[in-house]
Amino acid sequence: MEQIVVPHMKDAIGADILFEGTKSSVNLEKMSSNKDNPYLSVVQMDDPVMIQAVEEDLLTPITSGPVPNMTDLRSDAVHMDGMWCNYVQPWAGVAYNTDFKSGGVASWEELWAPESKGQLIIPSLQNTEGMWTLFMSAMLGSGKPFSEAQYEIDAAFDKLGALKPNLLSVYTTMSQAFNLLEQGEITMLSGNFSSYALPRKASGVPVDLAAPSEGIFAMPSGICLVKGGPNPELAEAYVNEMLGPDMQSAIANFATSVPANTTVKAGAVIPEGVPIYAPDWAFVAANRRDWIERFDKLMAI
Amino acid sequence: MIRRAERIGFLALPGLSFLAIIYALPLFMLLLKSFQIDGQFSILEYVTFFSDNYSMSVLWRTLRVAFLTTGLALLIAYPTAIIMARAKGIWLSVFLVAMVLPMSVGVIVKAFAWSILFRTRGVLNDTLMSLGLTEAPIRMLFTETALIIGAANVFLPFMVLPIYTVLRQMDSRLPEATVSLGATPVFRFMNVTLPLSLPGVVAGCAFTFSLAISMYVIPSLIVGERQQTLSMLTARSFLYLRNEALGATISSILLIIAISVVLGSSWLASRLGARQ
Repeated sequence: MEQIVVPHMKDAIGADILFEGTKSSVNLEKMSSNKDNPYLSVVQMDDPVMIQAVEEDLLTPITSGPVPNMTDLRSDAVHMDGMWCNYVQPWAGVAYNTDFKSGGVASWEELWAPESKGQLIIPSLQNTEGMWTLFMSAMLGSGKPFSEAQYEIDAAFDKLGALKPNLLSVYTTMSQAFNLLEQGEITMLSGNFSSYALPRKASGVPVDLAAPSEGIFAMPSGICLVKGGPNPELAEAYVNEMLGPDMQSAIANFATSVPANTTVKAGAVIPEGVPIYAPDWAFVAANRRDWIERFDKLMAI
Repeated sequence: MIRRAERIGFLALPGLSFLAIIYALPLFMLLLKSFQIDGQFSILEYVTFFSDNYSMSVLWRTLRVAFLTTGLALLIAYPTAIIMARAKGIWLSVFLVAMVLPMSVGVIVKAFAWSILFRTRGVLNDTLMSLGLTEAPIRMLFTETALIIGAANVFLPFMVLPIYTVLRQMDSRLPEATVSLGATPVFRFMNVTLPLSLPGVVAGCAFTFSLAISMYVIPSLIVGERQQTLSMLTARSFLYLRNEALGATISSILLIIAISVVLGSSWLASRLGARQ
């Protein structure tokens, strides 16, 4: 995405982007450690980490005055009175190797199937996409609809425990896990998302992203302004451009994702016929640390 | 009047000040942080760590992997160092380049390369099957054995070079003298070469063990999150649990282990030196 954003920002607002690409949690740590003297102006990270950033008073609200394009966003793309916005929305399902699993993944239950022994990698709960396997385990384990099941965490961990024989590994570095999927070392990668898997598929790699019948998930890609960050006016101009039709269209097409700007018709189409879920991120943010510890202990060899 | 030795000692002040500010002070602050919860002195995180079965299993795994990595590296490094110490001319240059050049390659690249070799359809499995040693691919990736082999390879130069340096400085007439007195090659090695090379072995083991016990990238790529090490727990504490006291505690435990190894090896090396 860097190759799209950087030249556009140079042309549109005359900004030179100093890009620091890393995980959301690392971004949060950088913001927190430099709270008294912030060096980041804009940060793009996941919703549950945004909530933690708001709790730590690290963000300043995005307002429609200097960022007029935010008025064109879907109402559910603006969070906590503008503390952050979702600029794009990939969808998440199960990535699979088409050479070794030509029939695709019709149901999330296939992750637990005996023939999947040693053929599966799932994300750690340290990664936001790790939540999808947890929440689907909650649904399958409790038998309840998603709106209720997402709070059935004990049922989720019981069901996750049953997944252990099929697990080759648990990852925090997604690129390595995806490489193993591409090479056929595993057949399924749980919780993967359209902005990563579908461009790889388009490049000719034998992978695809399944939307199993029980449902898929909306990835929460957010953008925010750092409180007290350098170049505040340029930062707002950057956010405005990111939410504007040109960048929305370009990013949605590049990342095979659904744009947040309602005036833009581009990017990915969410698979039809399957429900798409967005969890209660406040509940996730409040409990995630405990879940990470519990998950690591459960999955340890 | 300041003595000459003291004047020379003053020359070390800038370097020592730099080390104190860049290394010692942050480590001291880290240690201090491990005893602070909400600004109050507390040993709670140490109690929590040592009373938690999972943390203890991670500590034990970290120590086990570090010991076995050091042992394997020593096993490979010692004969390599002997060959290098005896090499001359172009061959010595070739060996030194072969040993030093891989150090310029990033540890991520090396760890990732090993993760490719260890795959079910990787070179190692293909070789084993083509030699008839195995009938089907065996699972190597995401095993502790793979981690030890990969780590020993990455840290090998840190074991070879100290041993090589000591062996190179050894008086070559000593083994020859034992030969002239009728000693067998085994006797010569056990009573001359090995004892004289022990300071290098101790230094190499200290280097390798310190690196192995604190490695982060290699286990992350080769064994993943299901077999965490202390370094991985440290990162998790700071970045994901956002528990600085716990992160500082685990870091301090790692630091204490590393310092113990360095001090222990220094003591051992000085004793061995004194004996010789």
